[in-house]
Amino acid sequence: MQKRDSIPKLALIYAIVILFTAIAVYPVLQVVSISLRPRATLLSDSLAIIPEGATFENYIALFRDQPFLLWVRNSLLITVAVMVIGVALASTAGYAFSRFRFPGRKAGLLSLLVTQMFPATMLLLPLFIMMAKLQLINTFIGLIVIYSSTALPFCIWQMKGYYDTIPFSLEEAARIDGLGRFGSFYRVILPLAAPALVITALFSFMSAWTEYIVAAQVLYYENMFTLPIGLKTFQSNMSTEWGLYAASALIVSIPAMALFLFLSKWLVSGLTLGSVKG
Amino acid sequence: MRIIERIPWKRAAFAAAVCIAFCGTARAQVNLHLWHQMRPDAREILKERIRVFEKLHPGITVMQLYKENEELRVGYQAAAAFTGGGPELVYGPSDFVGAFESMHIIKPLEDVFPKAMLDQLDVKAHTVYRGHLYQIGDEIGNHLALIWNKRLFRQAGLDRAPKTLDELVSFGKKLTLDRNGDGVTDQYGLVWNYTEPFFFIPFYTSFGGWVMDDKGAPALDNTASVRAFDYVLGLRDRARIIPRECDYEIADSKFTEARAAMIINGSWAWSKYMEALGADFGIAMLPMNEETGLWAAPMVSSKGYFVNTSVEGATLDAVRTFVTFMLSPETQLAFATKLKTIPSNLAAQRDPLVLGDPVIAVSIEQARVGKAMPLVPEMRAIWDAMRPPYQNLLGGNITAAKAAREQQRLALQKIGELNEGKDDNEETARGNALVVGIIYILGALIALVALVLLVTRFLVPLFRNAKTLDSGNARFAVMMILPAAVLMFGVVVYPFFYNLVISLSNMSMLTVNSWSIIGFDQYGKVFGIDRFLDTMAKPDASVWMAFGQMFSTEFYGVFVKTIIWTVVNVFFHVTIGVFLAMLLNRKLPGKSLFRILLILPWAVPQYITALTWRGMLNTDSGAINAILKQVFSIAPLPWLTDSTLAFVSVIMTNIWLGFPFMMLIALGGLQSIPRELYEAAEIDGASAWQQFRTITVPLLKPVMIPAITLGIVWTFNSINVVWLVSNGGQPADQTHILVSYVYRAAFNLYRYGYAAAFSFVIFLILALFSITFMRRSSATENVY
Repeated sequence: MQKRDSIPKLALIYAIVILFTAIAVYPVLQVVSISLRPRATLLSDSLAIIPEGATFENYIALFRDQPFLLWVRNSLLITVAVMVIGVALASTAGYAFSRFRFPGRKAGLLSLLVTQMFPATMLLLPLFIMMAKLQLINTFIGLIVIYSSTALPFCIWQMKGYYDTIPFSLEEAARIDGLGRFGSFYRVILPLAAPALVITALFSFMSAWTEYIVAAQVLYYENMFTLPIGLKTFQSNMSTEWGLYAASALIVSIPAMALFLFLSKWLVSGLTLGSVKG
Repeated sequence: MRIIERIPWKRAAFAAAVCIAFCGTARAQVNLHLWHQMRPDAREILKERIRVFEKLHPGITVMQLYKENEELRVGYQAAAAFTGGGPELVYGPSDFVGAFESMHIIKPLEDVFPKAMLDQLDVKAHTVYRGHLYQIGDEIGNHLALIWNKRLFRQAGLDRAPKTLDELVSFGKKLTLDRNGDGVTDQYGLVWNYTEPFFFIPFYTSFGGWVMDDKGAPALDNTASVRAFDYVLGLRDRARIIPRECDYEIADSKFTEARAAMIINGSWAWSKYMEALGADFGIAMLPMNEETGLWAAPMVSSKGYFVNTSVEGATLDAVRTFVTFMLSPETQLAFATKLKTIPSNLAAQRDPLVLGDPVIAVSIEQARVGKAMPLVPEMRAIWDAMRPPYQNLLGGNITAAKAAREQQRLALQKIGELNEGKDDNEETARGNALVVGIIYILGALIALVALVLLVTRFLVPLFRNAKTLDSGNARFAVMMILPAAVLMFGVVVYPFFYNLVISLSNMSMLTVNSWSIIGFDQYGKVFGIDRFLDTMAKPDASVWMAFGQMFSTEFYGVFVKTIIWTVVNVFFHVTIGVFLAMLLNRKLPGKSLFRILLILPWAVPQYITALTWRGMLNTDSGAINAILKQVFSIAPLPWLTDSTLAFVSVIMTNIWLGFPFMMLIALGGLQSIPRELYEAAEIDGASAWQQFRTITVPLLKPVMIPAITLGIVWTFNSINVVWLVSNGGQPADQTHILVSYVYRAAFNLYRYGYAAAFSFVIFLILALFSITFMRRSSATENVY
């Protein structure tokens, strides 16, 4: 890692990275193009990215005619809660699964995985019935609980996988220095797991930030809408407001990108384990 | 000082609160919830009218909620039929009535509204079903007509719309142009969403056909079908006036961009085209078939208000007041003049604003020759039956005669499936008593075993100090896991058992309120065991024939596709992801920019990017074919209309969507590999490939294994991309994986029991796979 490459090798690496970046970006540029179109059409025969008569009207209309900022607020509220729950519960549970042997460990790990295997078609109706029975319709709490539960299994597994790569000797040293079980986890191991925490945070964020199927079933009032359902109101059978939809989809992805940018400092800072010989 | 200033405010607020509470009791404020599927421009008018209404009736508040058409239907059914809740009012198309009535979730309205009020409305707007009035319409129509671009017609020397099917062809030929002579059509004579049965109906009726006979049985296998099929194929293959590939969005954009001279589209789109074309907007009736003397008659339906069956008392009074207001001439004119709809109020129909409107005049004529859409729920089964053979015909896979036969066969099959449980009576119930008894005993046994295991294997070791176990550590670990475990268990356990119970039941559209446990029949249907037994029961059957019948069940084919889908996707997600992560894990100036751009596919909402891919995959105007042509000189490929290529397309899109996530995980994982290992390997003279094999792969494994395992599970179950890119399994329901198939074949026809069984089978397949996979990978669980 972090070694210098020769010039031809570097050129080849750049060529490959640029090719993949182009593939990643091109369809998104199409979305940009739709958002700039003066008429609400999804497709165009023209391959130009900046359409004829390009306009920012859709972006302006979003903030002027739609309660867009309210949706952002609701979404942020829910998403931050899910992120906090996800990081808190996954970092602790993942640690326990990684470090300790206890009855039910294997069964626990496996059942986490099993919860991910329910197809959506199996969950939707009963989840709705359950939430109606628990009076959680039209509340954010219901959504926060459900989103956390969709994010947690992966987060726990991924935290566990990362803890597994951190040597045991660190805790042993910490315990000798007089830290308790939780102390050695919290003070010593958790900071070292920063890259995994970043992924956990990002993943929890994304699973709450873009979800709309459950939200659409549960929220009945426009002033409680989250961004994805707000977006869905532009989408209508055979008369979708493509311009508004594309514009808001792009705006929705900005916080995710910003969060990634902010967190990637820890993702790649490489809190090196080299100082501790494993 | 500041505190003193605040006090009066607080007092005022308190006083106001008291007043509101008091006024509330005095006047009984009623809240009405209205769920509707009005399109954006109609929504604005609705909101405006609600404001006016609330001013007139301060005691009533109306909360409107928009839901997309299908989501409105499904959402209301879930809320009303399964929880007894839901909104007081639902606004939607009249064909919701069949399913709503079967589930007893809407109220008969003939006694709710005074006869004098109902008499003010056009009878065509009254949705009467099985002898009761269930919906009061505010709009008649929702029908197709022909829209033409007058400027393009003038350029071709034409001054009017075609009046006959022959003229449609001859005009169309004049209007289809290849301006620069490069062999690619620049302007089409006609576009419309012709792959969808609803848009094919006018041609079917013009040859004398109709979807049902007098008794309500499907009537699709006849000469009218064959000739109408042939006519549409002729437009595409002989006259070449319509694009080879044309769905709703393609037609819409081509016409809006003046690259098509005519479009067949419904009343919901007309105002948009008026705005886009201005003075060049022309509307005409769909042409007449000179041969048969019949009009190309579109289906006509109405839209209006349903009332929730649970509404009573003061709320019902408020509902009556609100609906009456929404059907008043004033409100109806507000909608009609802006949206060019046909109002249902007779006074509004006679208003000069409506009478004098040229668009509404054509619309009324078109609706007059149109045919009323059947209200029975069987219509949904017929649509589902028409789609695959028709699209197979368009794909050139079968003949018109075969397509006609096939759609009739499918219609009968699907109607049977829709109405399953209809003949279940007490006798069958008694016959099942033994099975049901066994199921209950089995359930009780499993619960008992689980309880015993919980106590002996978990609780006892945890609290009794054993030699083999450090129970202090164990208790600490359990405490660390407890919050997560409680949350997961709380969310998942009810849906799991609910689904299990329903999968053993006969719950369907007709038995939503009266379902009972019937045993393993639904599982038998999933695997085609019922077909096996039916064939074996025939006198001249062999075992092989029976197996043949069994394996003709869709499950097996779709299962194989799902495996391919999962393996190919995850393989590329992981290889591309790890590859890019390793490239980005070097000293590379500008890498943070690449990193952020590379996660774009993950960050932008899937719904729109998946549809963008649909555009890129278009045969004639898509970017992918353009690149293939320019760089590799490959002829345009029919990505979305050929069944194999469509499957490839869906996979490509999903690979694009999924690789950034794996890249992210790999980037995180690479951080945990000590640099010294590579340095040591370098000194030992290991090649880059050897370093990758012996250091990167094994050390990346613990981080990647969970991501890969879950990636497999998620991909196996990911319904969105398949559904969006293939437009619900097109062509001809050939592009399905198991989950999307459940959605199409089971939920769409309200087969809850069958859907639950099918879902459970999907779950079992995955569980079986993962346990094996985990066993094999557990050897590498602890690397250090």
